[in-house]
Amino acid sequence: MGLLSDPSLSTHNKLVDNLAKHVRKVCYAFYTAGVVWFLCLALPEFNHGTYLSENALSPGLVYPEIRIDANRLAVQLLEELQRERKDHQSTTPHAWILAKFNEFGLETHTHNYSLRYPFGGGKEFHGKNIYGILRAPRIGSTEGIVFSAPYRAPSSVHVEISPSVPLLLAFADFARRKNYWAKDLIFLVTEQEQLGMQAWLEAYHDGDKTPDSSNSYLLSGNLPARAGSLQAALNIEVQDLEIDYVDVKIEGLNGKLPNLDMFNLVQRIMAREGVTSGYKQTPRKKRRSSLSNFEQNLRQMLAMLATQSSGVPNGNHGLFHRYRIDALTISAAKRVTNSNVKSNPTSSAVPLLKAIEGIARSLNNLLERFHQSFFFYVIVHNDRYISIGDYMPALVALVACSFIKAYLTWSTLDASAIVLSQETIALKPDTKSLKLSLPYGSVLIYLAVVLLIGYLANVLPLQHYILELPLNAAPLTATILIALSLIGFVLPFVVILPDGGLELLHISLLLIYGCTLIVIGLLNFSLGFFVGVLTVPMVVALNTSTRNSTLRSLARVWTLLLNPLVVIYIIVLVMSFHQFPELTMQQLLLRAATAAMDAAAFALVDSVIYGNWLYFAICTIFLPIWIICWTLALARRRGNEIHQPKLKTN
Amino acid sequence: MITALAFLLLLPLLVFMPLAPPAVALINPQSQHFTDEQFHEELVVRPLAGDHVNTYFQFTTRWHYGTRNNLYHTQLTPRVIAEVLQTYDVKELHIGLTQGLWRYESWGYPIVEATGGAEMWAWFSAPNLSNDDVDKQWMQLANVFSGVLCVSLNFVDNTNTIAPKHIFRPQFMHTANRSQQFVRYATLPREIVCTENLTPWKKLLPCGSASGLATLLNSGYVHNTKYHSLGVKVRTLCDTDDPNNCIVELTQTANLVYDLKLLEQSSTDFSLRRLFGMGLNGNCELASSSKIYVQRSERGEQFQLVPPPQHEVTSTRGGYTAIYAVYDMQEQFEGPGARLFNIAWVGPKSSSSSGSNKERASLPPLYAHRYLLGNGQKRGRIATEITNTHFDALPIIVMELVPWYVYAYLHTLRIRSKPQHRHDYGAKELKFSLLHYAPGKQRELSTHLEIGFMLPARSSALITIEVDYLLLKWLEYPPDANHGHYIGAAVISSQLPTGRNYTALPLEGHLFRDSYNASRPAYTLTLRTEALIVSLPTPDFSMPYNVICLACTVVALAFGPIHSVATKLIIVERQTTMPRNLLRKLFHKLTNRAAKPTPTALPEQNQQQAANQDEETDDKKQSEKQSSCNTPTHM
Repeated sequence: MGLLSDPSLSTHNKLVDNLAKHVRKVCYAFYTAGVVWFLCLALPEFNHGTYLSENALSPGLVYPEIRIDANRLAVQLLEELQRERKDHQSTTPHAWILAKFNEFGLETHTHNYSLRYPFGGGKEFHGKNIYGILRAPRIGSTEGIVFSAPYRAPSSVHVEISPSVPLLLAFADFARRKNYWAKDLIFLVTEQEQLGMQAWLEAYHDGDKTPDSSNSYLLSGNLPARAGSLQAALNIEVQDLEIDYVDVKIEGLNGKLPNLDMFNLVQRIMAREGVTSGYKQTPRKKRRSSLSNFEQNLRQMLAMLATQSSGVPNGNHGLFHRYRIDALTISAAKRVTNSNVKSNPTSSAVPLLKAIEGIARSLNNLLERFHQSFFFYVIVHNDRYISIGDYMPALVALVACSFIKAYLTWSTLDASAIVLSQETIALKPDTKSLKLSLPYGSVLIYLAVVLLIGYLANVLPLQHYILELPLNAAPLTATILIALSLIGFVLPFVVILPDGGLELLHISLLLIYGCTLIVIGLLNFSLGFFVGVLTVPMVVALNTSTRNSTLRSLARVWTLLLNPLVVIYIIVLVMSFHQFPELTMQQLLLRAATAAMDAAAFALVDSVIYGNWLYFAICTIFLPIWIICWTLALARRRGNEIHQPKLKTN
Repeated sequence: MITALAFLLLLPLLVFMPLAPPAVALINPQSQHFTDEQFHEELVVRPLAGDHVNTYFQFTTRWHYGTRNNLYHTQLTPRVIAEVLQTYDVKELHIGLTQGLWRYESWGYPIVEATGGAEMWAWFSAPNLSNDDVDKQWMQLANVFSGVLCVSLNFVDNTNTIAPKHIFRPQFMHTANRSQQFVRYATLPREIVCTENLTPWKKLLPCGSASGLATLLNSGYVHNTKYHSLGVKVRTLCDTDDPNNCIVELTQTANLVYDLKLLEQSSTDFSLRRLFGMGLNGNCELASSSKIYVQRSERGEQFQLVPPPQHEVTSTRGGYTAIYAVYDMQEQFEGPGARLFNIAWVGPKSSSSSGSNKERASLPPLYAHRYLLGNGQKRGRIATEITNTHFDALPIIVMELVPWYVYAYLHTLRIRSKPQHRHDYGAKELKFSLLHYAPGKQRELSTHLEIGFMLPARSSALITIEVDYLLLKWLEYPPDANHGHYIGAAVISSQLPTGRNYTALPLEGHLFRDSYNASRPAYTLTLRTEALIVSLPTPDFSMPYNVICLACTVVALAFGPIHSVATKLIIVERQTTMPRNLLRKLFHKLTNRAAKPTPTALPEQNQQQAANQDEETDDKKQSEKQSSCNTPTHM
């Protein structure tokens, strides 16, 4: 072990010197390698075909028993529900759902929850979930599976998915007559999109919280009945009983994914029942594209990363993942009427019902929780995936740049400092080691101040005195964020670091940046990777000792452009440009500004209610890092300012 | 202590009731004018809410063995039972093998209680018995019954056994000296009950499965129920005056709940044939009585019985009336000739009454649930929720057995209460009247907790205790490690002032008919909750697991040097006089070291000598020739 700590190793060896000359080339080479590696993953040689690891699932081992009468029941229930919906324009027909669950012989309960919305003067919303539990004959209520269907009132802005409730009910009625269930089945109808689901899950797992003592915003209450430890969940969103295709949604909160086995299971059973299904499945017309295999794969990958990176779940399933319950959504799209495929309305939902039955029976077979297959993966195609071992090198290559640079900066600190001191005619020749005399204290204080700014952005918008201001959530959050970024923007002009402080700050920036990026990448690969791709070149380009002024001003502009708020604004701008191409530039800019403000507020609400850490990451990690980058980008100019008075005194 | 005493005064019956009545039961006429061994078989059928039917079989063998000093010659009682009782000083033994969970809220109370999986408890009593003896005998007893019933009771050992303090009361005639009574309790919640248990259980019966009511217990039908529970209960009843005048009573029970919807029929009609696959072919010839009781009150009202019963009995117990139709099998099969006997329940045909069938059952006075709260594999909370729907406060004792792989923290124990109609618990806390806590010990003892408190009328209590999950050693994980580990059910006991939904036999009785009109000031009720599955932190027992282990080792090894590089100050000494040649370099080093006391360079002549002196402490790069020829001089 002495090998690594041999004191005779000089920091001035040839390797370091040579490397130091080519840092940029090395770093950009690593960067390119990372990106290229990632692109290569879309090639079939670099990814793998999916397979089922968990033998207990044995999909399709049993013949589906669900028959046309279940479909008939679903059709009949849908008609009843449509009648009910006329009376309930903006509410859920709770009584009807309750009555149906009771009729089918399920143990039925309701769950009330309320939300104390913190912004806009504080409002309180109430909601109600309904669930029926099928007590399995083969178990003493120690394990359960959840089948959930969100209910949307007719006044909802989202796509109508009311047939999912009749479908769920029809399956419940079928399941009630079977004696092979070895896990309690919970049939859950939630309202108010993800809020209802979040409240239900919180009540299930933290039902003993006292409402007054906790300062949480979602008061989930307690559940009257439970079904042991939940093993898996299937969320059903069906637009119509006659379906065109099924889109399997997997991305969950903070980019968590269900076990790959669960996705495979759904894919296989759907294929067996002849239902067109896939990950990010699109309608037939769009699917017929002339893209090459590689391009298709790459698009799929990027689409997945894009959804995953925001950390917002794209369905109710996403909230389960936090409790280690593997869940996904099967979202069935309506068949377009002019389709030339003839269908029989009396049996149209049978394949889907059969698929649900098949999934339920496979999950019922599970002896252990999902643990065999991957939890971290990227889907390339419906039956191909990239495992964490394959995609991590791309991120590691990106992050490696910052570490390499940090090491080299540290190693060459002596040399550069000597050069610097010679330039400035330092009058202290007795300083033996410059590293010892570096201004650690002031750099630490600077870092702490910068982190404090980030922390404030996280905490301030939720303080009572700020919430009492007569402002809506969006302007409030945006104002605080902009104000804090402005402080960060001004900070380098005001605070002057002592000699060598910039170099030290640079090293600490590189280290902090590398570490946070790798940690974020482990938790949510997509976010880490995108941030890496965007910012690594800038971080590499930053150089406190560059003398080329055009390069420096370029770096400054670049840094300014990469301010988290600016990035968010640009992303929103591009998205709104795609969505509303008819708008003029001015309208577009304005619209994007309001949308970005909303996005900030939504992210804050998400982090408060659902535990999404994107807002936290941006405020507490990316904003401070940006401030440090900005400080470094300004470095040279301020350096001159310092030098001039020094010279004068001399 | 004072609170505990005061609490026990609140429950005088819980303590003293078993003392008095059995003496009366023991010296009643049966023991005098019958031969000394009797066998009774009974079947109780109760339609329950939500299209469920409860069938309860009870086979009772009573042997008044009097003053015999060995029990080797048995007639109806299985010898293994009689022998075991004497060998291990067992006075009372309960074994329950159960699959499923009794749903109190919709089904009311069962006639016998049992928790999921295997459950066993026994009372030992003998003069000069010590605690250690009992531990040993308890394990031997469990091993014997593991063989007798083909259950994994051999896994019962000190790590999952506790000695309950307040919750169980002996049902045998016990001596006044309570210090000579020992009780042991254990559960195996993971045990799966199946045919392999039913067959040996039936073999304990005098007629086996050849004739009598036991012929109805076909595994194909019994195991398709929603709940089935086999029970063995043995107790010894001795005369208080003459301790040698004793009765051995063996009660075998099979409690089943059928879900009529699972029988795949449209109507609500059912029959014995439908439930058990065949009719009854006769009674057990050895039985003194053989009867079928059919509940006609409550859910039973709506059914018509075919054939009509021989007679009906009305029983009023604790202000609650039940009507039973009674079929006497001995009368039924009196004549010659083989035939099959079947009872059919014909439900109402009109649709309006079928609607009334769906109405919710009235809730029983007391019911309980248990669940695990919290997420993650590090810590959680065990919550037991007890609801009192009665209009008066009820005394409650809760016993928790927390296995050793879960740490429970006593200081986090809280009982919060809420009115029944509310959904969430406020900060209002209930006070303990009694608390017994025996802390667990890793890999040796499980935590044993008994809590007593008064539950106010129409309210629920939530008992929570925080637990930490232990990271087990890698050999301690069972197969299918990711399935999770079980925490057995909590046992809850109370005294009900009314007989609503209460069907258990009175303590002194041994036949179902003993529960007729058995009004008492209070009814001891014991409930069992759900078992829990906890997922302890489980390593990924696969290739990546090994890779992670290896990577961690490498990181750990590399940490030291990296740490020292990062923290130590590296000062490089420039040596200008170092020669280029390798051999000379070595030479130079040697001379340098020898000259350390005097930092100035040695003159050329002294170098050879210095090398010789220092040679033994030097590294082996020194040429061997030199060392071999030089060592003798040093020695």
